[in-house]
Amino acid sequence: MRLFVSGISHRTAPVEVREQLAVEGDKLREIMRDLQIAGVVDEIAIVSTCNRVEVYAVAAVPGEARTLAFRHLCRYRGVEEAIVDPLLVTHEHAEAVRHAFRVASSLDSMVVGEPQILGQVKDAFALAQSCEVLGPTLHSLFTQAFAVAKRVRTETEIGRHAVSVPFAAVELARKIFAGLQGRSVLLVGAGTMGGLAARHLVEQGAFPVYVTNRTWIRAQEMARALSGTPVPFDEMATVLGSVDIVITSTGAQEPIITRSMVEGVLRARGGRPLFFVDIAVPRNVDPSVGALDGVYAYDVDDLRQVVEANLRERAREAERAETLVDREVGKFLARLQDLEVIPTIVSLRERLEGIRVGEVRKTLARLPDALPETREAIDALSQAIINKILHAPITKLRESSRAGAGRSWTTLVQELFGLGGR
Amino acid sequence: MTSQILFDLAVAGYVCATGLALAHLLHRHGLVYRLASLATLGGWICHTVSLVHVVVETGRPPLGSLPEAVSTIVWVVVLLEMWVERHHGVRVLGGFVMPIALVLSLKIVARPLTLPSIGPALGSAWIWVHISLVTVGIAAFVLNFAGALMYLIQERQLKSKRPGAMSYRLPDLETLDRLTYQALAIGFPFLTIGLILGALSAGAAWGSVFTLDPLVALSPMAWAVYAATLGGRAAAGWGGRRAAHCAVLGFAVLVLTLGAGLFLPGRHGS
Repeated sequence: MRLFVSGISHRTAPVEVREQLAVEGDKLREIMRDLQIAGVVDEIAIVSTCNRVEVYAVAAVPGEARTLAFRHLCRYRGVEEAIVDPLLVTHEHAEAVRHAFRVASSLDSMVVGEPQILGQVKDAFALAQSCEVLGPTLHSLFTQAFAVAKRVRTETEIGRHAVSVPFAAVELARKIFAGLQGRSVLLVGAGTMGGLAARHLVEQGAFPVYVTNRTWIRAQEMARALSGTPVPFDEMATVLGSVDIVITSTGAQEPIITRSMVEGVLRARGGRPLFFVDIAVPRNVDPSVGALDGVYAYDVDDLRQVVEANLRERAREAERAETLVDREVGKFLARLQDLEVIPTIVSLRERLEGIRVGEVRKTLARLPDALPETREAIDALSQAIINKILHAPITKLRESSRAGAGRSWTTLVQELFGLGGR
Repeated sequence: MTSQILFDLAVAGYVCATGLALAHLLHRHGLVYRLASLATLGGWICHTVSLVHVVVETGRPPLGSLPEAVSTIVWVVVLLEMWVERHHGVRVLGGFVMPIALVLSLKIVARPLTLPSIGPALGSAWIWVHISLVTVGIAAFVLNFAGALMYLIQERQLKSKRPGAMSYRLPDLETLDRLTYQALAIGFPFLTIGLILGALSAGAAWGSVFTLDPLVALSPMAWAVYAATLGGRAAAGWGGRRAAHCAVLGFAVLVLTLGAGLFLPGRHGS
């Protein structure tokens, strides 16, 4: 029996193929059950997202199982097998474990560190669990993959820094202010990215939000969407004095926030920092505003630069995550091998222990006058005998599992001692 | 002798802590951080025992000479550093404070700790209060300086719009500003009352407050810088960068004062 994973992902397959092959839950259930009932796989789970379709399985002949699984998937979606087949990437055993860990930890994602993939793998696991196609191997593989993903997320900063312009604005705000709870925001204009940045700030507790626009109706609409307050455009300067974060995204050709305007409100602010996020092109905030003390002004190019720096940072953190995954793969493989032989070792012990206890009881019943020391000696003798007997087969089982032949030896031991399988 | 060995051990701990804290600043490894904390704590415990030993041996506070007082300042600095780091979650603080603590303790590591002390003036109990208060005040100003330094680095990175490696590690500006301000607000009353008591004791013991002594001459300057910062903060809402610059200036004067006290002859002994 071998563990393998086979599938297509954004690394090898173009989006046309991926979207054609993505299959929803009900059909996946059916396919997984069919494959198991047909005896092609022992255990199976299918991860199907817009970026990957992968079959995780334990099978006697991985090649056959892989072909049949993808034949099912292709047939259901009416895709030609010949298109998918050359795109399939297969990993077996140790590499399959590593792949599972890397996928769950978002190291194999298109945007490394994105958090959605873990949820998607968890869904796939739950689906497989609900139709009872998981066995001990895949069960422990996935639970361990979730644990590794959690470690990667907490011990490295792979998912920590923003990789989109609106989130970069939020992240910068967090470097200026101690928490966003109760920070007031002024949104000028109704650009999409500006609205998105404002929404992210609100989600992190920023309040209240003022919205202004040259068109009063637009200001009202946007304010409603953000549960904010609309402000007439010519009162912008007044609001500027009281807010902490200003987001601008209007189509104005000239800067609408000038240096003198900001200088005017700074005195009243008593040294509180003021953060401008200018997403408009051409810029809405006069570039010289950023030179003022306590004022931080970022335009869209600055934000992009931050995003690029963050991507490089993620790549560095991903390297640390890879070493962590390497170690975990090693640990898991050792455990996987034991997983194969441990049930047999346990039942072998139980079997002999049962015989021993029974025989000791019988013997002692025939010796009613025996001294407590004699009873103890008999007990110890019987224990010593079974330990000596067990030593060789247990060692052999452990060795064989490490050598990859655990299966045949467990069957042998089970037959010899009449253990009746797992 | 024992106290000297213990103090050397403490300094060895601080050397490790400094190295590890700087490594943590560069690599942000959880294990390195834990080791740095451990080394700091280990060094501090040795330091504590060494100070207790001085007290037991001499029957007076470990503040009998300027090097002793500096040693005690370092002890308070490390204590404050550990507390602030845990309490405010500023994990990188060690990387800024420990080097300063180390430099301060290296100044005295080569000398025996218990030197013949300042003389008749020490007979008065007030003089001990003077030294203790000033000691705590100076320790708070070390934190004030470290906070200001971190603030200036973070501020520069944010202004330059190229958040570099340091920006990822340092806390936000407001937290740093608050840390700097709190350290100032704690340090200032200690320094003020300490200096007043010092002046009164000096008047009583030496006949005049204004004697030829480097500490007496320079400490009012340091005090004036801190007083101006605190006044500016309270009255004119100075904050952020200006307050941070003041903290750096104040600390520079303070170091100059202490350095002069340690290396020039004067009434405070050296």
